[in-house]
Amino acid sequence: MSVKTIFKLAGLAMAFGTCAQPTLAASDLALQKGHEYLAVTNYPNNLHIIDAENDSLYKSCRLPDAFGPGTIQISPDKTRAYVLNNHYGDIYGVELDSCNVVFHATLSQQPTERARAIFSIGLSPDGKELYSIVNPTRMNRDNYVVETPRLQVYSTSAGLNAKPERSFPAPRQTTMLQAADDGSLFVVGADVYKMDPHSGKTEVNIPLRNWTRPLYSPPDVLYVWPQQRPQHTFNLLYTAARFKDEKMNPETADNVYGFIDINLANGKSELVDFAPITEVYFTGARSPKDSNLMYGVLNRLAKYDIKEKKLLQSASLDHSYYCLTINKAGNKLYLSGTFNDVAIFDADSLKKIGNVKLPGGDMAITTAQIFTR
Amino acid sequence: MLTHLLRRYKPWHILGVAAPLAICAAPADARDAQTIIGQSCAACHAAEGKNSWSRISHQRKTPEGWLMTIARMQTMHGLVISDEDRRTVVKYLADKQGLAPSETETARYALERSLNTVEHIGSEQYNQMCARCHSAARPALQRRPAKEWEHLVHFHLGQWPSLEYQAQARDRDWLQVALKEMVPLLAKEYPLDSKAWSDWQRHKPQPAALAGRWSFSGHMLGKDDVLGVMTVSPAGKDTFKVAMQGRYADGQSFNGSGSALLYNGYEWRASVKVGGVAMRQVLMARDGEMQGRMFEETHDERGLDFHAAKSGSGKLLAVQPDFVKAGSETELTLVGANLQGKADFGPGIQVVSVLSQTPEQVRVKVKASADAAVGVRSISLGRLKGGSLAVYQQVKEVKVLPAFSVSRIGGNGGSTPKVEGRFDAEAWSQDTSGKPFRVGVMPAKWSVAPFDERAEEDQDVKYAGKMQADSGIFTPGDAGPNPARKMSTNNAGNLKVIATVDDSGRALKGEGHMIVGVQRWNNPPIP
Ligand code: HEC
Repeated sequence: MSVKTIFKLAGLAMAFGTCAQPTLAASDLALQKGHEYLAVTNYPNNLHIIDAENDSLYKSCRLPDAFGPGTIQISPDKTRAYVLNNHYGDIYGVELDSCNVVFHATLSQQPTERARAIFSIGLSPDGKELYSIVNPTRMNRDNYVVETPRLQVYSTSAGLNAKPERSFPAPRQTTMLQAADDGSLFVVGADVYKMDPHSGKTEVNIPLRNWTRPLYSPPDVLYVWPQQRPQHTFNLLYTAARFKDEKMNPETADNVYGFIDINLANGKSELVDFAPITEVYFTGARSPKDSNLMYGVLNRLAKYDIKEKKLLQSASLDHSYYCLTINKAGNKLYLSGTFNDVAIFDADSLKKIGNVKLPGGDMAITTAQIFTR
Repeated sequence: MLTHLLRRYKPWHILGVAAPLAICAAPADARDAQTIIGQSCAACHAAEGKNSWSRISHQRKTPEGWLMTIARMQTMHGLVISDEDRRTVVKYLADKQGLAPSETETARYALERSLNTVEHIGSEQYNQMCARCHSAARPALQRRPAKEWEHLVHFHLGQWPSLEYQAQARDRDWLQVALKEMVPLLAKEYPLDSKAWSDWQRHKPQPAALAGRWSFSGHMLGKDDVLGVMTVSPAGKDTFKVAMQGRYADGQSFNGSGSALLYNGYEWRASVKVGGVAMRQVLMARDGEMQGRMFEETHDERGLDFHAAKSGSGKLLAVQPDFVKAGSETELTLVGANLQGKADFGPGIQVVSVLSQTPEQVRVKVKASADAAVGVRSISLGRLKGGSLAVYQQVKEVKVLPAFSVSRIGGNGGSTPKVEGRFDAEAWSQDTSGKPFRVGVMPAKWSVAPFDERAEEDQDVKYAGKMQADSGIFTPGDAGPNPARKMSTNNAGNLKVIATVDDSGRALKGEGHMIVGVQRWNNPPIP
């Protein structure tokens, strides 16, 4: 894409940091059993719960400390949200009914250490453990030393001064992670790794940088939204060049978009090219209704036929959105990230059907989560 | 290829803005640098014997480099130091642990703040690993042993953990490449100890030799040639008073005065008020010449290339303008120091009359015969040689300079001013064998056009700013979102810059590329 796109995006996010604010909704409102909600975070440091049935703001919780990145994970019993925040340095657990903070872990383990989790936050299938791979740096008096990343395993009942129960060395350059039903972790990095959170054993599960697809360049993955999908999958997008022949000439190559879907119930994964690159999508997801439909969003909202690798339809947007969420029924799309409004689109017609304006500022790179209490 | 989210968090967005380098020395009663370092730095940097401290004593860099390092100690590590003490320490370290003149030569454009320079330092790997977030010049203007380069790698990744996830980093094992491949390469290319540096320390000239009268010649982008005289008088150790009297080629004259501080025997930094505008000189002073750039302090895009010669020994710097059309009569001015003797422009160019002659400027009327040999020729005055003159019959091509540039939206109540686009139309011709040669900068009519379809569709020409047709100066649009634009985007744009030069009734067009970018949130002394 053009250089300009980068400039414009940067400009947008900066410019819209603050807006006229609606007031915060009451914080001690309980969630209703069986009801579908969407959780998002935004500046200065809010966790918002949107009612995904009448598409309005249901409640807002204030989070402690500083915002960023605001990556959310909802507990398996749907009573808590865990948020990676405070400049990638802390994880907070919030009880959704009361907005009480019931869990807090500072990721750094020493006063002289700075540890940051790059979108790395996940929960065990039973909700009893929380996982985060951190990148630590030892800060000496007159120099820094970058240390080996660590998987830190916490008990979610550890309270407000949680310390890791176990930790294991982890590969560098990892981002999102999610636990499969058998308890093993899928970790996105140079490749997708499978990690045992009890032994620390790590192996490559889906090769990416090291894939061996003939006539393909290594894929590029910039996907930092670990969304808990209604299909119980863990998904991401990649881009790659598909060359015409052995000469691997990038000039004549096709640039393709693909997705990886990991089924968290059985650990099986799919890796599929679904479109030529014509524009950038930050996030994308398959429809829970029709697994042959793929949606993507950034400057436009797009819908693809996966098998045909064909753009079926697209919709223009008022501004860019980073994060695309689909409700359980697969009939509504929620667009969030950047700015402070969630746009709602009909998944079939791609017509805009609603907009929820949030109190507070930019959602930046929040990870929205849809869930049924 | 893709829009890279994480690139929004470029390190230079986060680094604190450092105040500009001092041009006045600390007062005489100031504490000396060793005392200050011993008190202010030694809390973190262990003393290692006399006048040596951990980290500090194992690097060499430019005055701007030292300023940035100490400013970083303030913003990142909580160092508390007064401006006066900081000036003392920067001066001391820049003198004691600086770079030899030859060690700065390939990267001076960064000190001179010629921000549209297309860099040609180092390999593709060097540029991806070390010049992705800041200029390639920044590391190239430092000298360290391997251990210190290694510390720098750790500092980078420790300070900016997202670094290894960005484009051209997440495609490789970034830390291993940095430690195992870049560190040895940097230690070899830019080592702490060098012959150039030990030679320079032994043969550093006396600063007193800079006092006197200097004749200068220069060119201001988007304006004109300039010439004049700068008088330098001593004001203390390594400090000087500066007075300038100059003139643009269009006859407009200017005066300026200010002060200068000399670092490391040759790094000349002056602050000169010219008609109420604060300008900065970043010059290399060596062998009776000063060369570099002079620019406005708050608009470094407005500046001139500057070359001066000290009176005393004869030197011919340039001829203005530096071209003449075959078959025409024109006035030329030779600029230099201790000019005397007869001007000789070679066969086919006759000096019709000498209009005026001073030791600094010789103005002559010349007539170029219609069959004067075309091409670039050297010229002489008495026994002095220097400068060159292009003789041409027809302009064959027009180049827009800079060919690629970035201007920036700004103002509109924000703290960051607009960064103008400034351009020259450079005419080229061909010699008899068909080889292109540079004629010189000519007046042009200026306009902008959409660079591509996208820019056309987004109406960038309408929103991104205004080009002055006569001067080639582009004023970008206001900062902030623009509700009139699609998706309320800001006034950024992607434009062609078009110059039309008239060569005796023939219109020739040249084209450049200008990105109208967003504000630069951080603007450190070395980009
Ligand atoms: C509060 C502690 C502290 C003080 C005071 C301090 N520094 Fe530092 N300095 C550091 C740390 C930590 C590092 C390593 C991280 C970094 O490079 O910023 C460092 C690194 C450096 C480096 C290496 C930078 C590089 O580019 O590799 C230099 C040079 C330096 N300091 C000079 C100074 C000087 C000169 C002073 C006093 C004027 C000073 N420091 C005061 C903490 C300090």
